[in-house]
Amino acid sequence: MKTHAIDLAGERVLLDARRAMAWPREDALLIADLHLGKASLMRQAGAALPRGTTTGDLQRLSALVADHQPKKLLVLGDLTHGAETLDAPWLRRFAEWRRTHAWLAITLVAGNHDRHMVLPELDIDVVPHLDIAPFHLSHAPATHARLHLIAGHLHPAARFRDGRIAHRWPAFWIGERRSVLPAFGTLTGLAPVSAERADSVYAVTPGGILAL
Amino acid sequence: MALRAAERRVIAWMAERGRKPSRFQREAWRAWQAGESGVINAPTGSGKTLAAFGGPLIEALEKGEQKPGIRLLWITPLRALAADLHGQLEGPLRELGSSWRVLIRSGDSSATDRSRLRRGAAEILIITPESLELLLSHADAHERLGDVTSVVVDEWHELLGNKRGVLLQLSLARLRRIAPSMRLWGLSATIGNLDVAINALLGPGSDGRLISDSRPRKTIIDCVLPKPVEKFAWAGHLGLSQLRAVVDIASAVRSCLIFTNTRSQAELWHQAISAVWTHAPESLAVHHGSLDRELRQRIEDGLRDGSIRCVVATSSLDLGVDFAPVDQVIQIGSPRGVARLLQRAGRSNHRPGESSHIVCVPTMSMELAEIAAIRRALAAGDVESRMPPLLCVDVLAQHLATMALAGGFRADDMLAEVRSTFSYASLDEGTWQRVLQFLQSGGASLRGYPDFRRVVEVDGQYHVANPRIARLHRYNVGTIVADGSIGVRFLRGGRLGSVEETFIARMKAGDRFLFAGRTVELVRVRDMTAWVKLVKGQRGEVPRWMGGRMALSNELGPWLQTVLADAHPRERELQALGPVLCTQRERSAVPESEQLLVEQLRVRGTSLLFVYPFAGRRVHEGMAALLALRISRLLPVTIAFGVNDYGFMLSARSLAQFGEPDLRKLLDIENLRNDLLASIASGELARRQFREVARIAGLVFASHPGADRSVRHLQAGTGLIHDVLAAHEPDHILLQQATDEVLENTFDFVALESTMQRCAGVELLVKHPKKLTPFAFPLWAESIRGGLSSEDWQTRVRRIAEQLNEARG
Repeated sequence: MKTHAIDLAGERVLLDARRAMAWPREDALLIADLHLGKASLMRQAGAALPRGTTTGDLQRLSALVADHQPKKLLVLGDLTHGAETLDAPWLRRFAEWRRTHAWLAITLVAGNHDRHMVLPELDIDVVPHLDIAPFHLSHAPATHARLHLIAGHLHPAARFRDGRIAHRWPAFWIGERRSVLPAFGTLTGLAPVSAERADSVYAVTPGGILAL
Repeated sequence: MALRAAERRVIAWMAERGRKPSRFQREAWRAWQAGESGVINAPTGSGKTLAAFGGPLIEALEKGEQKPGIRLLWITPLRALAADLHGQLEGPLRELGSSWRVLIRSGDSSATDRSRLRRGAAEILIITPESLELLLSHADAHERLGDVTSVVVDEWHELLGNKRGVLLQLSLARLRRIAPSMRLWGLSATIGNLDVAINALLGPGSDGRLISDSRPRKTIIDCVLPKPVEKFAWAGHLGLSQLRAVVDIASAVRSCLIFTNTRSQAELWHQAISAVWTHAPESLAVHHGSLDRELRQRIEDGLRDGSIRCVVATSSLDLGVDFAPVDQVIQIGSPRGVARLLQRAGRSNHRPGESSHIVCVPTMSMELAEIAAIRRALAAGDVESRMPPLLCVDVLAQHLATMALAGGFRADDMLAEVRSTFSYASLDEGTWQRVLQFLQSGGASLRGYPDFRRVVEVDGQYHVANPRIARLHRYNVGTIVADGSIGVRFLRGGRLGSVEETFIARMKAGDRFLFAGRTVELVRVRDMTAWVKLVKGQRGEVPRWMGGRMALSNELGPWLQTVLADAHPRERELQALGPVLCTQRERSAVPESEQLLVEQLRVRGTSLLFVYPFAGRRVHEGMAALLALRISRLLPVTIAFGVNDYGFMLSARSLAQFGEPDLRKLLDIENLRNDLLASIASGELARRQFREVARIAGLVFASHPGADRSVRHLQAGTGLIHDVLAAHEPDHILLQQATDEVLENTFDFVALESTMQRCAGVELLVKHPKKLTPFAFPLWAESIRGGLSSEDWQTRVRRIAEQLNEARG
């Protein structure tokens, strides 16, 4: 149950429990909202967070790339969290990761957080939005006249009660005309979705993808 | 003016009001004059405020004009009490011609008051524990508080058993250094361990005085007996069937307080009574802790001036500065403890020394027995104890950061100061170092976290790293009480109070709920506020607040067992309960004090196991989780459980019949702690507990909507931070604290351990009833609340998915 195949606007896509969506026909891997560097910024502000979150997130991304073998990585915004000096440790680690994945084409659909920082030469295309039929990719969810819109930004979450324990899990929020990916970064918040009748919600649980 | 002359003036002033100092008041004044400290134990309405205030008041009159500066700190746990206190202290000062001025300092203080305080334009300061800690965080605390000669801690019993009290212990330790000659007095209702109350206030080994109002006080407990007990609800039930009787009692008197155990129950009873209330509608009100302060104030004033005749209230009215007494006190359900009953009954106390009177209205049959048990425990003087939490590293971390702000500290001096408190007397060097390390570098490892600094050490002196951190920390001081609550306001602007975030999160715009005695409709949620409008004549959902269930006190359990086993009881309640106990004896048994009853049977294709230790809800929750785990180790099975204050129930598709040796093994005390931790899906519970720990320790910032927007994007959920810590630094001191608190708060580990020990020594009474017994029925009816399975995550997710499909049909 690590991945779950669904049909989206006529395309077969895989929802991966590591919070990514694979699109085999296009050899693409889609992720949203990494918020790299958030832990570092929080530490500077006085929050005692241990190091290792960036490394953990990048390891997860490496495993995804190894499993799905995509040719391109499409990031739906908020790759980084805020302004940082170019010698920040997490940025060095990310640059290193980029070097070992140099063959991968990366496109960043710019998000609201990305405006704080211009990334150095990492060979990343930055675009305001991207159309690859039948999908329109953007950071903030809106609507598109023709294409099925895939977005991030919301950090959708699903709630579920299991006995006396209430869970909140990151979720894929799949609609008729619009879908939202879960946030990829570890240190990202969650916002419960208010799904409509026609929508499907897939929760990312420790045990795999759960269709709700 | 000579001391005796000043004292005579105070006595004359009292005489003008038809009062004269009682023995314990004089005793307290003398003790103060002799420079002593201690605890004054007296019920509400007995004049304990004047007992504590008399000493400083007499000295103020004796000395006349003095140089300005704070002399008396009056610490109160509730901001709502401060205004009332202000009047009580200022009255005698003004009428006796003293020049002393009274000032309130709390989170609500106006800018004018704050600046008056900075100028030192007051001699008496009424303050909450959190505001005191804030005052101590300023480098000039020594100058401002150096002239303090006395400190009074009001309602000390309310603070004693929680972390706010622990923080106050630390503040008081600092205050003792600033003003070494100060006299420190706590005011406390009757609790079982007043010796601990004294030690926690003054520090262990100190020589504190206990002054009690020794006049005999009778508390008369009456009970509204239900008509046919046989038909009376066995299970949890609101007991609105007793409504008629309650309204009759309440209508017949000029003023009446109706206490319920939960806020939801208060709202429901208020609604039910208002439907049949024959007096003016505005003479009936509801009062609980989630209502807006002004609203509560209006109700309290109305009760005092007679415009309100009847208030349905929760423990929010337990506290109070010699609150106006009422003609009648009614308790809905069992008060679940002796101390609480005393406190509530005290509200009907018109004159010191007179008896107080309370009418209990049982809402289910077993509460009849509880009321009888309380009466016997009270006669034997067995009142509940409250233990201060020990060695909380989160509170310590917060306090150390505060002290680093207050001009800094040296490690060895500070350690000595911290160890001078009751809660940290046994703080070991290792834990101390780890807390210091957490503040300096974030983690336990030597290299620490990159970019993180909160407190820095320069030449052996610890300081806060920079002004920004100082500002954030000041926001955080006193977040101990903060929970995820959200304000409720009318669209027109009026404030109603607050409800839990989780309750609102479940609601959609247009949904209705009962609040502050009105039915309101949710319009939208914005800016941490639920905006509502009034709707007429509609029933709505009742909000649930945290701590909804009030547990039976540990002390009451054994008494309950004693009264149940009594074959020829004198009490009318027990006689009324007779038929129920008769059925229990016919179908199974009623255990004696040295017996533990176990019932096993099958109902509707399910195996049920009931155990009745009479040890209170929290302990039973722990025992149920423990047994479920141990059984599931023997056979792979999914077990659900239910608990109440008398016992617990395990249920499964099929369970083997357990004989005495099996049961002994299941109840074995060996490996208790580890099994318990393994049984509670401890990760999930610890994760929740971590929220409070992380906030107090300052690991995350409390949110201040609107106050500092630049902070917002730097917040992350404590659940996430818990996971990050658990992954990268599993032995972090705050994670350990959270786990300990799960054991302590969820299961009351100490009580659990002693209950398990008791169970090992008693006779096991194993019964196989054909039908559910009266003891079993409430548990069965309320079952499937908790559950445990030995399945892994994959299986659980599959099972949840199956449940969802079944539910969809």
